[in-house]
Amino acid sequence: MQKKTMAVLVLLALVAALPQVLQVKYFIHLAVLAMLWAMVAQGTNFIQGYAGYVSIVQGGFMGVGAYSSAWLSMNTGLPVWLAFVAAPLCTAVVALCVGYPSLRVKGHYFAIVTMAFNMVIFIFLVNAIGLTGGESGLSRIPAPPGFTLLGQEVDFQNRAHYYYLVLLALVCSSVLAAWLVRSRAGRIWQAIRQNEMYTEALGVATWRYKLLAFVASALYAGSAGALYAHYVGFINPTPFSVDASMNAILAVILGGSATLSGPMVGAVLVVALPEMLRIAETFRFIAYGVLLMLAVMYFPRGLVPMLAGWFRPGQ
Amino acid sequence: MFIELIQQILNGLVVGSVYTLIALGLTVIFGILGIAHFAHGSVAMFGGYLTHALMQRMGVNILLAMVPAMLVGALLGMLIERLAYRPVRAGPPINAFIVALGLTMVIEKLNLLLFGVDQVVLPTPFGRTLEWGEWAMPELRIYVFVIAVLLVLALTLFMHRTWMGASIRAVAQNRSAAVLMGVNVNRVSSIVFALSSALGVAAGVLIGALFAIAPGVSGGLVIKGFAVLILGGLGSIPGAIVGGLILGVSEALAAGFVSSAYKDVISFVIMIAVLLLRPEGLMRRKT
Repeated sequence: MQKKTMAVLVLLALVAALPQVLQVKYFIHLAVLAMLWAMVAQGTNFIQGYAGYVSIVQGGFMGVGAYSSAWLSMNTGLPVWLAFVAAPLCTAVVALCVGYPSLRVKGHYFAIVTMAFNMVIFIFLVNAIGLTGGESGLSRIPAPPGFTLLGQEVDFQNRAHYYYLVLLALVCSSVLAAWLVRSRAGRIWQAIRQNEMYTEALGVATWRYKLLAFVASALYAGSAGALYAHYVGFINPTPFSVDASMNAILAVILGGSATLSGPMVGAVLVVALPEMLRIAETFRFIAYGVLLMLAVMYFPRGLVPMLAGWFRPGQ
Repeated sequence: MFIELIQQILNGLVVGSVYTLIALGLTVIFGILGIAHFAHGSVAMFGGYLTHALMQRMGVNILLAMVPAMLVGALLGMLIERLAYRPVRAGPPINAFIVALGLTMVIEKLNLLLFGVDQVVLPTPFGRTLEWGEWAMPELRIYVFVIAVLLVLALTLFMHRTWMGASIRAVAQNRSAAVLMGVNVNRVSSIVFALSSALGVAAGVLIGALFAIAPGVSGGLVIKGFAVLILGGLGSIPGAIVGGLILGVSEALAAGFVSSAYKDVISFVIMIAVLLLRPEGLMRRKT
């Protein structure tokens, strides 16, 4: 355990030093995206990895978070910091309304309904022009105001400075995730994945815990969406389609479901692989899809558990 | 008002017959193999584009181009079953699921690569509009409906009148018993995918003739197919037929009397309503 804490701290120090080392701004940008996807994937892991339900709406939830944060800060005069808090809450409310009816069904049905819901969100974002700006989206979304910290100017228009904000958010959400999956709720999630009927027979109201997992996943996606909106300053519906939800699912599968580090590793892969596969826009997604299928066929447990297995041959 | 209402309903039935074709393919696969075949919509789009390409290259009309396209679709279906789904059949259902998602991504982008990004309308020789006094009906819609009905009939006959159809139903009812009776499950899976992909291709062609096909259409199509299945009861062929027609009519009415921008939301609303009130679907008795 001691060793593990050390490793985490060393890794954290390395990640914190990254903007100082990376000279190319584009790499900082990719690192920010990877961290945002890590947050989304960590949330997805609650419902997909731990509870065993595939939800295909995480991309839509990112959209809800992004748009509500942008809209609130631009139209109501709400300070950006408060918008960061309000956006995930809005997303959670939306998730509660969808999760309640859709979690009455299991397996495939649930996935289909959530995917349909992602499409509803998308159609809404495209058509509610007065609220969302339609296809042309919302632009000039303000960055959070800067301040002076220990005599140093902090300016969130600067990518490197925003990097630390996202890093902080990722660390906080990871700590929360670690606590959550070890809590009673987390154990019940795993019991549901193993055998839902048996868990119910033990007197556990499983639907409450499934709903909790779903809403928690929405909170994570909503926060990441809000951070994304104020980071890039411009949003339109495109990045919040079903494709984005697929990315979240892929991150969890590739990294390793039901592990804490898995979704983070997966998120890095999800951002890095398309960059490395930069042959042509369409080709890389074909490669990506093939990779997803091969991953499920040949290492269904994901990268992290597989590597961990190599280092502990005794188990 | 009354005439408009009836006409919207008729339009809805035409579109609904196409949804039925999509849903039949999905329901046969689901009922027999337990796979939610998300890539079915992309297969339909592939068929539509392929037919268009055949029509242009070879200068044939839509009916002549549709037949070879359906055959190619059947082969594609068999390929999908063999390469993508068979390797994960023994694993937990979530694996087949993820494979379906990956497959969707691949076929969707292959479509883009092969046929480009343009929206395409399949030209037909049926451009007239039939009129009786206040009534008007484009000739094309009648042909679409007739073709869809014929295909549905053909599938039903195949399932109930042939040896292969009987084997398929046997696997759907009880896989292990069917295996004991000497049914080759691999062959059945293969045939099922061939059949449903051919139907999907036909649906893609009909949609291309009625409206237009474009790269983004497939996702909506597969969701509608699943909405029909949830409405009718997963795995039920009569459910898919009735459900498709109901969905088509409700959409047409919503587009005509509420808002056309949000007509695609109808399938979602229906899905949620059915799940809340009657999760086993309209045509299924609770077991």
